[in-house]
Amino acid sequence: MTIVGSRRMTDYGRRVIEKIVPQLVQDGWTIVSGFMYGVDKYVHQTCIECGGKTIAVLGWGIDQETDTKIIDSGGLLLSLWKDQKGTLWTFPARDRVMAALGHELIVVEAGQKSGSLITAEMAYKLKKPIWAVPGPITSSVSAGTNQLIADGKARMLTNFQFSIYNLQSNSNDPILKLIENQGLDASEIARRLGRSASDIGSELTMLMLKGEVEDREGKYYLRDTGGNERNM
Amino acid sequence: MLVKIKSVANVGLETTAIEVEVDVASAGFPGFNIVGLASKAVEEARERVKTAITNSGFDFPPKKITVNLAPADIPKDGAAYDLPIAVGILAASEQLMPMNANRMTTNDIFFGELSLDGSLRHTKGVLLVGLFAKDNAIYVPILSANEAAVVENVTVYPVRNLRELVDHFQDIEKIEPLAHLEIQELVSDANIDVDLADVAGQEQAKRALTIAAAGGHNLLMFGPPGTGKTMLAKGMAGILPPLSSQEALEVTRIYSVAGLLDSGESLIRRRPYRHPHHGVSPAGMVGGGSNPLPGEVSLSHLGVLFLDEMAEFPRSVLESLRQPMEDGTVSIVRASAHVSYPASFTLLAAVNPCPCGYLGHPRRECKCTDKMVRKYRSRISGPILDRIDLHVHVPAVEIEKLDSSAVGQSSLNIRNQVISTRKIQELRFKDEKIYTNSQMGNKQVKKYCQLMPDATRILKLAVEKFDLSARSYFRLIKVSRTIADLDNSDKILVNHMAEALQYRQQI
Repeated sequence: MTIVGSRRMTDYGRRVIEKIVPQLVQDGWTIVSGFMYGVDKYVHQTCIECGGKTIAVLGWGIDQETDTKIIDSGGLLLSLWKDQKGTLWTFPARDRVMAALGHELIVVEAGQKSGSLITAEMAYKLKKPIWAVPGPITSSVSAGTNQLIADGKARMLTNFQFSIYNLQSNSNDPILKLIENQGLDASEIARRLGRSASDIGSELTMLMLKGEVEDREGKYYLRDTGGNERNM
Repeated sequence: MLVKIKSVANVGLETTAIEVEVDVASAGFPGFNIVGLASKAVEEARERVKTAITNSGFDFPPKKITVNLAPADIPKDGAAYDLPIAVGILAASEQLMPMNANRMTTNDIFFGELSLDGSLRHTKGVLLVGLFAKDNAIYVPILSANEAAVVENVTVYPVRNLRELVDHFQDIEKIEPLAHLEIQELVSDANIDVDLADVAGQEQAKRALTIAAAGGHNLLMFGPPGTGKTMLAKGMAGILPPLSSQEALEVTRIYSVAGLLDSGESLIRRRPYRHPHHGVSPAGMVGGGSNPLPGEVSLSHLGVLFLDEMAEFPRSVLESLRQPMEDGTVSIVRASAHVSYPASFTLLAAVNPCPCGYLGHPRRECKCTDKMVRKYRSRISGPILDRIDLHVHVPAVEIEKLDSSAVGQSSLNIRNQVISTRKIQELRFKDEKIYTNSQMGNKQVKKYCQLMPDATRILKLAVEKFDLSARSYFRLIKVSRTIADLDNSDKILVNHMAEALQYRQQI
């Protein structure tokens, strides 16, 4: 998943990243961004904090001084050049790589005529799904994203269930099988599976966070996803 | 002749020196007066002292006797001044010759209530006297003397009656001072009334109890009647770890002031477990009275306060819990004194989901209207719920499912887990002034709770998904710290955090 955005990140942009990045990592996505301060840096940072993998595509050559935190966390630093200063033409070239690397693209915040819009344009040409985060029409850093939605090039990002690509989903989970037709409380699930309440408790939380299970009045039910949550 | 005797006044947990001045005048009409802000109980000392002296075979001098309790502006309450007054009168009337007996130094402290026959009665607050008297000798009733014997460097003379005391000073027969009682790290026997193994099912609730006992977390259980909430709560008493020596001293001080130590008892080793009825008044809960005594919150200091049917408690009583739950102490202000008692307790609460109790029950229908349910739930305010670390459902269990179920862990077993988890915490907080994970402040959470990246991720996810407050964010970390400790893990792993999230606030 490629995530791009403005260097002039607002509080709103920060909140959006805090909301979507952990969910994407949880769902098994690797996150691509542009290693620039603002939205890009915060995306990388949040991803690493959540234990996710991230790929940074640089708009300049990798040298000795480049920060290696991303590599230490098992991620990847990419650049088209060995020794090259960042200039006017290097960033659009970088944007093309980012657009091509991701299966999908999320634009968090973007001004009019920004690099993020170049990335979106490339992704549009490559026919990749594009999501734009809507923002106030008075905000200059949401003008680009709102424009993408208005032009019909991007879909509006309104919630965070990317469950069609939920790479960790496992319908063979004994808990899911057990509650397929009836709601049960945690103690009952633990008893039927012959496992400790503490193990079952932590697994139930994970299933809830993945959106596969929900609880009502202390009982756990299979979440009726209707098979396709993609129609956001 | 004028004699000055040392004694003390206990105001809350503070002890002040009191000088008892006794003058037996050679001129003037016979009489007996006590001055110096004496309460009714002290006033009545006149009759007790007079009769006790006579009944012990001494002469009560038919002269003008004036007793002054100095400093005169501190209010004095209780019957503990009987002994210093009696000793003062005997000395001033030269029936007890302290000056040449050379045994009574001016720093000796006398403290105790007299019976009419001259013997001394069990008196409250003797431990505080011992703690105050460092390096001096104290003369206290034999029935209460054990309390003070745990204090180092204090010579404790257990006094049976007035006659023995006079014999002691006149070298006829000496009273042997009590040997110092070492406070040992003894593991007292578990007090298991209800074994958790006997509670059918409810494994999740039992696990929550274990976590609560291990980390000192507040716990709220909710579910329909008859599912075992009260029984589970009683089982909590059996899995609590014994008090460490430092904790024991803290708790005993409070019980000593409240006069709740049995005679002959020295130190409380069993962690307090209090369960006040919902008719309790605010003063009974937090403490009060004109000379403020500790309330239930202080009596459960370092132990458990169990509120059964929490929604039935008056709102004023529940709200009064907020300050002690936050600060671990409670301040009581009355006209006569401003007193502060420690009140760092673990709250254990049980509530029904609605007034009739059957909301969400698998078979029985609920008779309450929506309005009634909302009103019932609003009795427990958000700020109180926000201070409860663990929330757990105790659902109705179908009987036929129970008989086949495997027997759960015994209380003894769980208690051993709890004890070893407390040891880990003791080591962790040896430089801090806290004992358990639940007492950590935000700063300490950052210092001692290392979350693995996976754990951070699901915590962040959960904050979004369940819309958690900043306070509950830190609370979850504290709970996951305890779960990791139970697992003997230095770091907080993803499964620890996931389990902690099971006990998040749900109503």
